[in-house]
Formats: sequence, structure tokens, C-alpha cells
Amino acid sequence: MSESIQTALRTRARELLELGEVSCVIGYERSPRGRVRPAFIYEPADADRLVWDNTCHHNLMVYLHDRKTPPRRGEEVPRVAVVAKPCDVRALNVLLHEGQIAREKVFVIGVACAGMCEEGTEELQARCRRCRERVPIFYDALVGEPPKVTAVDEDWADVVELEGMSAAERLAFWTREFDRCIRCYACRQACPGCYCFECMAEQVDPLWVGIAIELPEKAFFHVMRAYHLAGRCVECNACELACPMHIPLSLLNRKIAKEVEALFGYRAGGDPQTPPPLATFRKDEELPL
Amino acid sequence: MKLTSREQLAAWLDALMERATVIAPRQVECGGGSGTHLLLYQPVASSAEVVFDFQRTAMSPKGYFLPSTEVLFEIEKRSNEVTLDEALPQDEQVLFAIRPCDARGLRVLDALLVEHEPADAYYAQRRRNTTLVGLACPHLWPECFCTAIGGAPDDSADVDIMLYEVDGGYLVSEITEKGTALLAGLNAEETDQPAPVSDRSGPSVPVLAPEAWPALFNELYWARLSDRCLSCHACTYVCPTCRCFDVRDYTRAAGPNGIHIERLRSWDSCMAAAYRRIAGGHNPRPSKMHRLRNRYYCKFNYCPQDFGAVACVGCGRCIAVCPVGIDITEMLGEVAALAATLEERGKGKG
Repeated sequence: MSESIQTALRTRARELLELGEVSCVIGYERSPRGRVRPAFIYEPADADRLVWDNTCHHNLMVYLHDRKTPPRRGEEVPRVAVVAKPCDVRALNVLLHEGQIAREKVFVIGVACAGMCEEGTEELQARCRRCRERVPIFYDALVGEPPKVTAVDEDWADVVELEGMSAAERLAFWTREFDRCIRCYACRQACPGCYCFECMAEQVDPLWVGIAIELPEKAFFHVMRAYHLAGRCVECNACELACPMHIPLSLLNRKIAKEVEALFGYRAGGDPQTPPPLATFRKDEELPL
Repeated sequence: MKLTSREQLAAWLDALMERATVIAPRQVECGGGSGTHLLLYQPVASSAEVVFDFQRTAMSPKGYFLPSTEVLFEIEKRSNEVTLDEALPQDEQVLFAIRPCDARGLRVLDALLVEHEPADAYYAQRRRNTTLVGLACPHLWPECFCTAIGGAPDDSADVDIMLYEVDGGYLVSEITEKGTALLAGLNAEETDQPAPVSDRSGPSVPVLAPEAWPALFNELYWARLSDRCLSCHACTYVCPTCRCFDVRDYTRAAGPNGIHIERLRSWDSCMAAAYRRIAGGHNPRPSKMHRLRNRYYCKFNYCPQDFGAVACVGCGRCIAVCPVGIDITEMLGEVAALAATLEERGKGKG
């Protein structure tokens, strides 16, 4: 399956570049060390660099933010193609709702996805075992057949365990985790939903967070980021996978996703028609608070 | 040369902990029992915490010389009286099991922070207060390339004591007087056994001479290389030679009786968009292409020219940490190839 998807991806990328439909195809390639990484293909002849397998975990939508402005003033914004898993397309959907990306500037090569594996194992990531969308909710071209996999029910077990702790235990847990943070911002930079021109954590005027790389600053940053992703985090896990200090960031984001689902019956980016609950309002709305 | 067992070494470390802070590789549990671990240099309370067998730590030990955050001085103002209290670090430190590449990283930092005026008093003081106990690598680990950049897995040039793991324990080599002094109390026997020579085979990575870099500055290559860069700070924070910092004053208390201010410095990263922004909002390095290129030029062109040291020791951490697979050795190979191509083209024109 992976191999036929890979062949189809290469063919599609080559065509798009040959026809001049796009200026660049953003996909995955294998590094000389054998690890999969994001790839930027500009020439049809390079399309064969593209690969597809169960380690293509990066959420490439993050790179669309680099392509919102033209390379030179006055020029048109070039159109790009991007390889997108179902979770990635949900992230793109969030960005479209937020007016970040011009849909016509992106050719979405959707990939039917059987799930991504934990690094160095053949074991599916927990989020992939639970995934209910094996085919992206929208695309310009679809590659691959819907895989025959049954999703594990979402029971929020990890979040429930956390909720079961006393406040003091929870504080101790997160203190231990956040204390390892080095404020490298890999989580934020890998996140398609974090695109502020200037992050609150680095804003100088007004100064919200100091420059110190100490627990209060670290904890504040992570909690603030999690809140800013409320109703927006699609659980692509790009943050956690990018974290050099192995902080379980998905746990934080999932706690908020669980609250959003309970309050609004909404999953981030799940539906192209429904606007995100925290970016809209209804006159007749009543919250069960 | 002396020979000692791991148990004797551990006993010596435990005794050392009575009078100095011992920093050593330590396993840190992550994710609240999810089974993942990180190896970090951390202060240890017992030799039982020390990991003796390891490849490399996730972070370089530079933070024990240039802390990620430190108070430079405090200012106290009461009515018309202003006092300034500068507290230089006094603690004696022993950095146990530092790898030769990381020790070499400190030599690079010395060149930049001590040997050129104005010297960094805080860094210099920590260097003086610290004894380095090196532990040779038997060979290069994955992502390592120290041999390509002038180092070696058993290079003892930058440590006070060098340990080599051998059958039955460790060979102990006293490199400096500071090292000899620290070794008092170690139970060890004299031996004629020579230090084992590590396997130096490693990747062949061509490192372009500093003066060859400027000709490549405007190549499209840098834009293509940085396409995948996320502009996070990970590579700079794990690096043993990246040393940029930010300084800011914080008012800790203010009232009718006076004001208390701390001047703080923290690590900063040239990979950050705002790093180079200047008054008025202009940013001479506006894109990630400018920033990634600058990082490499800093290491291989600016530092060698300005401070006489290539600011890379081949530890491989930036390769291991990069979430998107940017690889400094790959870059060096491609840059060397690009330089050769340009030279060929130049000859053709001539």
C-alpha cells in the first residue's frame, strides 16, 4: 500500500510541476541517514525523491505560513502543492476558517492514511489508533484507498487519569514535565495553529513573560499555548514529536480538546462547514456552565 | 597512569560530593512513567545516580558555565542610596564524564568569552571553579563527526583528568595539576598499561576553509536548505558552542522605601525571528534563510576569522535534535561541492 501511494505521489507531483500548476510540492523524503523529513520539490526531475511510509508524521501545513506572502513585493503568491494526511487537512481546515490560507493557492494532495508509528517501532501512535478519518475531509487529489482499519474508541483514558489526580499531584506532575523545557519553542514552531507574527511568550512591549528559562516562564508558556489551541488543536502531535525534552504536550492539548468536545460537541477542524466555536458566536447560544 | 575499578571511582565521587557539586550524566524520566528517558548532565547526590555507560547527553554541559538563566547583579535603591551587588559564582564544581567534544566546546567558548576583551567574568569564574573529568568515547556514535573537525573520541587536550574504560575498570590519566589535586583520595594502582586508542573511523565530512565561505553567501542553496527549517531554537540550545544571550532588567520589588532590580541574562537564539530585530522594527535577518545561513556562517566563517576557532566540535547533537532532519554534515558536504562547482565555473570563464 505504502509503495503504491508513494508511486502515485511522485507521479502527481511530477505532473503538477510539469504543467506549471504549482511552484513547489511539499512532501516527504528520506534523509541520507534514513529518516523521513519534509521535502520541497521544485523540479519535475526531483519528484522521485518523495517517499511515503508510516513515519511521515510531520504536519506539513506549518510550511504554508511561509508561503502566504510573495517572494518579492508586488509579485503574485505562488501556488504550492502539499501532501496531507487526514489530520493535516483538519489543521488546514482550521487555518482556512481563520482566514490564514488562500484555498486556491494550495493544491492538497490528500493521502488515505493507515496511521503513523511511534518512532523506531512498528506500533501505531495512540492518536492514530483512535483516528476516525482515514481519508481527508477535502482534497484536490486523493492518493491511496481507504485502509481497512477499525478505530479504537476515544475514552480519553490518559486525560481521565490526570483528572483523577489531586490538584497537588497534578501540579507536581506538570512541574516535573515543564521543568525540563528549554524554551526552544520547537513545539510552537512545529504547530500549524501557532502562527502569530509575534508570540505572546516573546513579546517585549507589553512584556507578558520574562526572558528567564525558569519554571514559571516555562509553565506559563505551555499553559498559555494550550489555551490558545482550544478548539483548534487537531491532535497531529507535531508539538510533542518535535519536543527535544519529551514533554507530554498532547496530554495538555487533549485535556482541552475533551473540554471543548463536552461543551460544544466540536472536534477541531473536523468539518469544513462548521466554524470553530471559539471563533464565532450564536445569538441564541447558551452554554451549560 | 592509574588503574581503578568502577566501585573505587564511585566511592571517590561520593567523597567528592561532600565538598563540591558533582555534575554527571543522569537518567531523567519523562512523561510521568511513559517509559521515555533523557540523559542529561545534572548535579548528583550519589554515585548511584551516575550513568557511566552512555553515548551522549541530550544537552551539552555548557549550561554549567553559561547558565540558561542567571542573575548578573542586583540593584537596591533606598532613598538616595544605590547599591549594586554583583555575585560571582563561588561553588566548586566537578563535571564528571564530560566527552572530549564537549570539553573542546569549552575551549571554543573560552576563545570567545574569555580570551577576547571584554571577558565574561561569570563564565570565566565558573571555568576556574570547575574541574573537568573526561571520559573517552571508544568510537564515534551515531551522528558524531568530531574527527572531521579536528577532534578525536579520546582527545584529552581540554580536560583535567581523562578516564578510559578498560577491562576491570578505568585508566586514569592526570592531565593538569588541577586534575591531580582532585584525584587525591582515589583508590587506584599505578600501571604501565597504555591508554587505549579509540577507533577514529567516522564519516568523511569536508569542512570548507573559513575564507572560502563568503563566495557562497548569495547562493540559492541557503533558501532551499532552510525551506524545512522551523526556526525553533533547539539546535542552538543543545549546541556546546552556541552562546548567544539576552539581558534584561526586572523590577522585583518597588515601593515608597525603594526599589529592587535584578539584571538577568538568559540564553537566546539566532534562529528566533526577533533575535536580530532592532529599534524601529527593522530586521536585517527577516527570513529563516537569513537566520539558518547566519548560524552556519557564524560557526565556520565568522568565529574562525574573529576568534580563531571553528565554532563546531562535531558532537552531532543538532542533527539528533532537529525535528525536521536538518543535518550539519550534509550541509558541509553540499557546501564543499557547491564551492568546487563555482570554482570550476570560474576557471571556465577565465
